[in-house]
Amino acid sequence: MVSEKITIEPVTRIEGHAKVTIHMNDAGSVDHAYFHVNEFRGFEKFCEGRMFFEMPQITPRICGICPVSHHLASAKAGDILMGAKPPHTATLLRELMHMGQIIQSHGMHFFELAGPDLILGFDADPAIRNVVGLIGADPALTIRAVELRKFGQDIIYQVGGRRIHPNFAVPGGVNRALTEEKRDHMRAGLDQAIETTQIGIQLIKDWASANIEDIEKFAVFHTGYMGLVTPKNGLELYDGNVRLVDRDGKQLECFDAQDYLDIIAEHVENWSYLKFPYYKKMGYPEGSYRVGPLGRLNAVDHIDTPLAQAEFELYRQLDGGQPVFQTLYYHYARLIETLFAIERARELLDDPDILGNDILNTHHKDPKQVAVGVIEAPRGTLFHQYWTKPNGQLEKVNLIVSTGHNNWAMSEAVDSVAKTYVKGPDVQEGMLNRVEAAIRAYDPCLSCSTHAIGQMPITIDVFDAQGEVTQHLQRD
Amino acid sequence: MQADTLIIGIGNADRQDDGVGWHIVKILAEKLGKTVPEDPGEIVEVETNLADMMFIQQIYPELAETLSHYRRACFVDAHTADVAEEISWLTLNPEYEKSPLTHHMSPRTVLSIGATIYDHMPETILVSVRGYHFQFERALSPQTETLAEKAINRLWDWINHK
Repeated sequence: MVSEKITIEPVTRIEGHAKVTIHMNDAGSVDHAYFHVNEFRGFEKFCEGRMFFEMPQITPRICGICPVSHHLASAKAGDILMGAKPPHTATLLRELMHMGQIIQSHGMHFFELAGPDLILGFDADPAIRNVVGLIGADPALTIRAVELRKFGQDIIYQVGGRRIHPNFAVPGGVNRALTEEKRDHMRAGLDQAIETTQIGIQLIKDWASANIEDIEKFAVFHTGYMGLVTPKNGLELYDGNVRLVDRDGKQLECFDAQDYLDIIAEHVENWSYLKFPYYKKMGYPEGSYRVGPLGRLNAVDHIDTPLAQAEFELYRQLDGGQPVFQTLYYHYARLIETLFAIERARELLDDPDILGNDILNTHHKDPKQVAVGVIEAPRGTLFHQYWTKPNGQLEKVNLIVSTGHNNWAMSEAVDSVAKTYVKGPDVQEGMLNRVEAAIRAYDPCLSCSTHAIGQMPITIDVFDAQGEVTQHLQRD
Repeated sequence: MQADTLIIGIGNADRQDDGVGWHIVKILAEKLGKTVPEDPGEIVEVETNLADMMFIQQIYPELAETLSHYRRACFVDAHTADVAEEISWLTLNPEYEKSPLTHHMSPRTVLSIGATIYDHMPETILVSVRGYHFQFERALSPQTETLAEKAINRLWDWINHK
């Protein structure tokens, strides 16, 4: 039998999408699989020469689905550059907007993307293995899921005036206060959001119980884990120190984000534009770590909101109190974080200071020329680092996005799943769907700044050893 | 909003020809008497009852609910060389097109979601214009700008002929 190379390639040369290459051997098994990201990091170069205070408006345009994370990380870097710590009310409002972002992004991912795979099955007919099929299977749940995302988007709108690319956070604070009316409007949606999320959590628990065999063989590997933490190592999504733990949950580092370059380095492979961050002291790839929901819930010791903490305690028992490492549990962790975000939104809305009018610090003290803004985006830790001239003009920009931190893990997940499920010579659609499901678990954001028709998110080509395409699969 | 027609420009106005949807929506709005801000926002409200307009970077699921309130809709976007015509004019039917990523949803998919949940979706067309350059700037390339003018003329007729 001739060896085969299965290549997933973008149809166009325009950056922003990914390919998966699966290399088969003569025996019809997978030798290795790679997840190639063709992401061109143009924003970093594009921003050189701009003023740092423009960045909260520029960087959200990296993506039209998760712009708020960039908006806030950018503003936080600007706070430091300007030497203007935001007033308490501004911090509460920024965090509230961020909770809206978490709710909408996580809600959309579970119910509308991962949900069909889990609820309808990896091998279900592709015609129904989607959110439309889910509607048919459980219309009430699907409508609730759409409402959950809308609720998260509405928080962003109520706080920032726009759902996408808000003009809200500025260095030193924010540019609008919150009215009682808007606060009460958001409060009114919290109970239903919690209910919907709890339904989702029960779904994933039931699914996990019924599919433990798949969970234990689907992209299962150990890494370190990283995320922001409170001073007592609780879950923290807006601010705090960065905690890195090893595969056993033992703390390796707990550091100020300003020092991340002392802790994290980036490895380059010649088959991907996206670099591979790793923990310097352990080298690459041993120092690879995961971020995002599963990574975060392994990096923390507890959650400070009651409902999420109760779920966290159950979740951490999955692996006997040790870090949960099975890739499919990303979906479970994602919903626990959604619950936390809704509870945290309630805490923020109940804080009378959130209606304050002191929202912008105009007194500059100890400005800097280098600063890092950090935040936990839905997908994981996001760093924005800016170097400026004395006049505030950017000389250099470095962005480590969440998907970047997970780059090694996504490639490892694709390799693992391909080896487990892809059997030649006739590669079934369900096998390849599992490869994509491995990517979906990490919910990557792959340079969403262009979306012209004709750009495919992922395509799959099967090549034989002579370079001939024997099978083609694409997702439009 | 009172119009029965919705025009939705899609794309990133900071990525040159990827923002052709914004440029077209902007000019159509101005022809309908609305001055729009230079920085594209989410919704451009038009004061006539001919058409409502919006501009978004990417399609998202709750757009289905917005669409359910209209009789006609038009998506305006850029396309790459994989589409043969320089200006493509397509009638869209609801059809779910799956993606491995949450950040990628097509007009047909959002129509499919809407048709299932709301039992009504507008008669929908997709107008796309060939993009030649996708660099980091707001001005269209000369080739795409010329095509955009032709697309605007044809869309103007479509808006006015119910």
